[in-house]
Amino acid sequence: MKMRKIACLTPAVAGLMLLTACGQGGGDAGDEASGASGENATAALPNGMTVQEQIEARQKKLENIGGAFKTISDQLKSDSPDVAAIQTAAATVPAEATGMADWFPEGTGPDSGVETEALAIIWQEKEDFLSKISDMQNAAATLNTTAQGGDVAAIGEAFKATGGTCKACHDKFRLDD
Amino acid sequence: MTADKRQLVWDWPVRLVHWSMAILVLLLWWTAEEGIMDWHKRLGLTMLGLLVFRLVWGIAGSWTARFAPMIKGLAKLPAYFAALLKGGHKPSFGHNPMGVLSVFALLTLLGLQVGSGLFAVDVDGLESGPLSTFVSFGTGRDFADYHEFNFDILAVFIGLHILAILSYQFLIKDRLIGPMITGKRPAQDFGETPLPTMAVRPAALFAALLIAIGGVYLVANAG
Ligand code: HEC
Ligand code: HEM
Repeated sequence: MKMRKIACLTPAVAGLMLLTACGQGGGDAGDEASGASGENATAALPNGMTVQEQIEARQKKLENIGGAFKTISDQLKSDSPDVAAIQTAAATVPAEATGMADWFPEGTGPDSGVETEALAIIWQEKEDFLSKISDMQNAAATLNTTAQGGDVAAIGEAFKATGGTCKACHDKFRLDD
Repeated sequence: MTADKRQLVWDWPVRLVHWSMAILVLLLWWTAEEGIMDWHKRLGLTMLGLLVFRLVWGIAGSWTARFAPMIKGLAKLPAYFAALLKGGHKPSFGHNPMGVLSVFALLTLLGLQVGSGLFAVDVDGLESGPLSTFVSFGTGRDFADYHEFNFDILAVFIGLHILAILSYQFLIKDRLIGPMITGKRPAQDFGETPLPTMAVRPAALFAALLIAIGGVYLVANAG
C-alpha cells in the first residue's frame, strides 16, 4: 500500500514516466474480491453457516460497531453532545462485539472466494488476533460503563482508548484500503 | 538580453496559491501516509481555502488568472496543437490552450479530493472530516474510499502537468517555470499586440480572501 503510493507520487514529483503503470495500479479496493460465486462460498462451516453467511454476518456486525462509533464521535465533536445518544451507542459496541472470537473460523479468509478484508495472517497468528479481540472487548466495556456515568471528558478518553484497540487490530489483520 | 522589457504574466496571488498548493499536496499525502491526521485535516482545510480563493480569483483576479478568457482560449486548441506539431510554436500570454486543460483538470480533481475528505470517515470511526456528521457511517466510508481513489488520479494528472511543463522547457524551449516564480517574461515574447492590463484590484483581493477564510471557517465549524 505504502509502496504503491510512493511509486505513484515519485513520478508525479519528478514528472517522469510510470504514469500509466500508476493509473493501472490505482484503486485496489476490490482487487481481493474474486466474486462471491466460488464453491468455497457455499461450503458449510462447523457452526452451520456457509462461508459466505459467516463473512457477511461479521461484516454486518462490524458495520454496526462502526456506526455506533461514529455516533459517539459525532456527539463528542459537538458543542452540546447528546449524552443519551452516546450512551445508547456505547452500549451497542460491547453487545455487537460479543463472541467476536468465533467470527473468524478457518476457511473464511482471503482464499474463500468471498469479498473480505480479513488477511491470512489472522490464522497464522491466532493468539495475537484473539488477544486483540479481548483488548477491544475490555476497552469497549469500559467505554460503556464510562458513558453511563455521563462525564463527557471521561467518555472522550475511553473512546480514544477503544478506538486505539480497533486500529491496532486493523493495522495488522485487515486489508488496508 | 540587457535592458529587455519584462512583462508581468502571473500576478502574485496566482503564484503564491500555485506554489502553496504544490507544497500542500505533498504534505497532505505525507501526513495521510504517516497517519498524522490532525495535521492532515488542518492542511486539508488550508487547501480548501486556497481552492476557494483561486475560484474567486478566476472571476475577480487579473486577466491571466481568469477562467473566462481561458475557456475562450480552448477554442484555439486544435489550431494551437497543429502549429505545435509543425514546430511553429508561439508563446501565449497567460495559459496556452493545453495549459487551460491542465488548470481545469487539476482544480476539478483537487476540489473532488478536498470535498471527499470533508465527508470521509475512517474505518475505526476515529478520524473523520468536519462535514461527516451529516452523513451515515456507510456513506462516510464511501467518501473515504473515493478520497483514496481520487488521490491516485490526482497524482497521475500532477505527473502529466509536470511532464508537459518539462517538455515545453526542454523540447519546445518555451520556458514556463521561471515566470511562475518571478511572474515575468521578456515582453518581446508577445510581439507588439497590446496586452490586457494585469492590475490586482485591492477590493477584489479583499473579497476573495474574505470568501475563502469565511468559507473555511463555516466548514470547520459545521459539525
Ligand atoms: C481483533 C481484530 C479487530 C478488532 C479489535 C476490530 N476489528 Fe474491525 N475488522 C477486523 C477485520 C479482520 C475486518 C475485516 C472483516 C472482513 O472483511 O471480513 C474488520 C472490518 C471492520 C469494518 C468493515 C466491515 C465491512 O463492512 O466490511 C468496520 C467498520 C470495523 N472493522 C470497525 C471496527 C471498530 C469500530 C472496531 C473497534 C471498536 C473494530 N473494528 C475492532 C478486525 C478487527
Ligand atoms: C487536496 C487535498 C487532499 C489530499 C491530497 C489528501 C490526500 C489523502 C490521502 C493520500 C489519504 C490516504 C488515503 C488512504 O491511503 O487511505 C487521505 C486520507 C484521509 N483524508 Fe485527505 N487529502 C486531502 C484533503 C482532505 C481534507 C480537506 C480532509 C478533511 C478535513 C481530509 C480528510 C481525510 C481523512 C479523514 C482521511 C482518512 C480516510 C481513511 O482512513 O480511509 N483530506 N487523504
